[in-house]
Amino acid sequence: MAKSDSIFLQLVSKRQSRWLKRLQDLPLRKVVAGSVGAFCFLAVWQLVCMVGLLKLPTPIRVISDTWELIINPFYRGSGNDVGLGWQILSSLRRVAIGFSLAAMIGVGLGMVIGSSRLLYEAVDPILQVLRPVPPLAWLPISLAAMRDNEPAAIFVIFITAIWPIIINTIVGVQQIPQDYKNVARMLRLSRKDYFFNVLVPATVPYVFTGLRIGIGLSWLAIVAAEMLIGGVGIGFFIWDAWNSSLISEIIVALIYVGLVGLVLDRSVAFVGRLLSPGDE
Amino acid sequence: MGRVLPFIEIDHVDQVFEQPGGESYIALKNIHLEIQKGEFVSLVGHSGCGKSTLLNIIAGFQRPTCGGVIMAGRQVTEPGPERMVVFQNYSLLPWKTVYENVALAVKAAMPHLSKAQRQQKVEATLEQVHLSGARDKYPSQLSGGMKQRVAIARALAVQPQVLLLDEPFGALDALTRGLLQEELMQVCQATGTTCIMVTHDVDEALLLSDRVVLLTKGPEANIGRILRLPFARPRNRHDVLNHPSYYDLRNEMISFLNQQKRRRHGTAVAATPYPRGGLTLGFMPLIDCAPLVVAKELGFFAKYGLEEVNLHRGESWQELATGVVSGRLEGAQMFAPMPLAMTLGLQGGPPQPLTTSIVLSRNGNAITLSRELWQQGVRTATDLRAYIEQTGERPRFGIVHPASMQNLLLRYWLAAAGIDPDQDVELVVLPPEQMVYYLEAGHISGFCVGQPWNSRAVRQGFGVIVTTSVDIWPGHPEKVLGVRPEWVEAQPKRHLALVKALIEACEYCDTIANRSEIAQLLCRPEYLDCEPEEIYKGFVMPLERGDGVETAFRPRFHQFYVDRSPCPGRLELLWIMTQLARWQLTPFPKNWSEIVEQVRRIDLFGFAARELKIPDSEPAGQSLALFDGLPFEPDDPLAYLEAVPIRRALDIREIEPSLTVLSPIYG
Repeated sequence: MAKSDSIFLQLVSKRQSRWLKRLQDLPLRKVVAGSVGAFCFLAVWQLVCMVGLLKLPTPIRVISDTWELIINPFYRGSGNDVGLGWQILSSLRRVAIGFSLAAMIGVGLGMVIGSSRLLYEAVDPILQVLRPVPPLAWLPISLAAMRDNEPAAIFVIFITAIWPIIINTIVGVQQIPQDYKNVARMLRLSRKDYFFNVLVPATVPYVFTGLRIGIGLSWLAIVAAEMLIGGVGIGFFIWDAWNSSLISEIIVALIYVGLVGLVLDRSVAFVGRLLSPGDE
Repeated sequence: MGRVLPFIEIDHVDQVFEQPGGESYIALKNIHLEIQKGEFVSLVGHSGCGKSTLLNIIAGFQRPTCGGVIMAGRQVTEPGPERMVVFQNYSLLPWKTVYENVALAVKAAMPHLSKAQRQQKVEATLEQVHLSGARDKYPSQLSGGMKQRVAIARALAVQPQVLLLDEPFGALDALTRGLLQEELMQVCQATGTTCIMVTHDVDEALLLSDRVVLLTKGPEANIGRILRLPFARPRNRHDVLNHPSYYDLRNEMISFLNQQKRRRHGTAVAATPYPRGGLTLGFMPLIDCAPLVVAKELGFFAKYGLEEVNLHRGESWQELATGVVSGRLEGAQMFAPMPLAMTLGLQGGPPQPLTTSIVLSRNGNAITLSRELWQQGVRTATDLRAYIEQTGERPRFGIVHPASMQNLLLRYWLAAAGIDPDQDVELVVLPPEQMVYYLEAGHISGFCVGQPWNSRAVRQGFGVIVTTSVDIWPGHPEKVLGVRPEWVEAQPKRHLALVKALIEACEYCDTIANRSEIAQLLCRPEYLDCEPEEIYKGFVMPLERGDGVETAFRPRFHQFYVDRSPCPGRLELLWIMTQLARWQLTPFPKNWSEIVEQVRRIDLFGFAARELKIPDSEPAGQSLALFDGLPFEPDDPLAYLEAVPIRRALDIREIEPSLTVLSPIYG
């Protein structure tokens, strides 16, 4: 009896050690580490504000101030007075329209420009000059061109996101390895076959790098643009809160903006991985 | 003799790469290769010798600078599925599964097949290379060996006419490599596909190939040797390894590759100072010293910066040769076989390396028989044989030097009629200008010598010309400029200037309108010291043979420039090498291709030729034949030599190459 007990114990301990080991390997470790990091961050924040180094509400204060806002994301009041969820959704809608346009036109243009050396040399200087223009600098032009707030905001998203998409697509097309081109030449692939079997799959990773940068920039730009344009949207919500000195609301909105930005980036990356099979 | 049209002909391909800075790098030079249908040919050479470049040219990825590739009667201008390449790095599309990779090729190359037929074809090919189990895997999930199998499957699936393999197994471990080699062999044997494979693996080449093409080390790589492998097909590794000639062939390949490794390339000489002082070149008083005389008298030397060139009239050929070897002369007119014979060691003498970069003249010799012989009805070599058999005499013939073209051609002419030149007749060495006296005195019954001595014998009535060297071997090399390899390396710029000046002088000499003027120059006391009329015969006027028959003037009786005459071709020297060995004048070198390359600096000629904007490579021709039509194939000179009926015992040995033979780079 005693003998079988000891065997049982051994089994348990073996299983336990294995379990612990797996725990160390798994993302759970990351989760724990991340949580500890976040907790430390909040603690330092709390401490710094309690001591009075920064004139900001402490984390606990923020939560108690904005509890209503947090638990009712889809609250509907009158006019601009809607829950944070609605604010975010309307910003996302603008980004979705602007970014989709940028993606379609950017990828198309990039493929055409990347395939022709002459065209590339003709267009490259323009790209290099327009690319570093900050998103908000486009806003006045955009307002002047569109004469309306809504299309102007969408245009800013579009013009901000399109450069990295075009440039990365161009690079992708130019960087198609000579090996693949040689295979295509050897098989005398038709234009259509080359496009779908070589050009598109070979450029997918580059295109998605461009799309990830593009979506990040769009989300950066929308907040700033909405602050200036007004209406429903997370940007204007922040601006409005500032005008009403509701610092806690600003902080909550910032956290939302950050989380949504993260989700957008990861979703684009995820789609990109789905579309490049065989990639290890 | 009907020639079978080769399936693939690589026709005198040159590949030059323009480098930044305006310099050009000659990767391939004058590559000529014919491949028959169903053959498996390996291209073997050191890395960087341009073998992959050659394969790319055949594949159509690259257009050669010169020459072209013809396959099944059509020129290759672009890649196509009839010439599938198996790349060293596999080049599979990573976003496609094994099946899709092969299917894409089948779809593109065989659009006429139905979907089901295509599917069947892909499956069958995957089965053939044992890949059915991996059909839905992505390349990144496969080992190197598996990936190469996919690449082979992709290539075979479209049933190409030629399979081009670029070091296909280079990146694999030994075990996988062996396995894939056998699979490839089986598949190729089953399908009868023509294959061209680039490899640096000697055993791989031996196992798989019908012929192994050994390339020399670049720059200016060309075909050094071609080995034909005797292993029967279908073959397997065991039979090949146990074949009696396997190790001989393997050694031959290894020693060739080692010889090539020894080729080093001289340092840039841009900085070497241009030496002051004169240049002394030796010549013998013969019509074919014309290019040297013309270059001096008409200022071609001066044009290329060689201000002070002295021409030294030699007492004998021996004196000129020792003059060059000792350094007293910078260079000298020599018989075409002389630099080679000196390098190999003539008649048991020590090897004294000499080299040449330009052929000064071609043809110009004749065989003259005494009038007595002629009157007894001896008109040809066959008559001579009958005469010898009848009378039992052992006639004497005059030659001017054992390593002369005249000696080799006279011996060839006699032997072709069944006369053994050492037993049935006696050959004596005499100075050329004494020949006529000896003929007159009856000491000799004939001679083979250059002009004007044949014409003098005819004019004085002692002899009759029975044949000329143009009739024995049209366009044979006659005189070359022999120099020491050390001198070429020490003063490459002067050597280059010399070659350029002489090429131009040769061109001048081959313009018939200039020849009277040249004849006037030649008959001056310091040169030939003779009557102009003697020079005219054959040079500007028809050659009188003394048999009373009127003949037309033959401009090529003396040939200096036309048909790329100055180019020191390697094929012709190889033939000369066989003849020197045939009569035991020199040993036959085991490392013959290396020696030929060392003695005939076609690369230095090419350099000069390119600066003069004239063709820089050996004229076309894979084999040569003399008047009797016996073909000489350069791939196996020993077999040619062993097949001739009359010859002395062969002395085959390794000849230490001169280490100074190397390509100076002109700055």
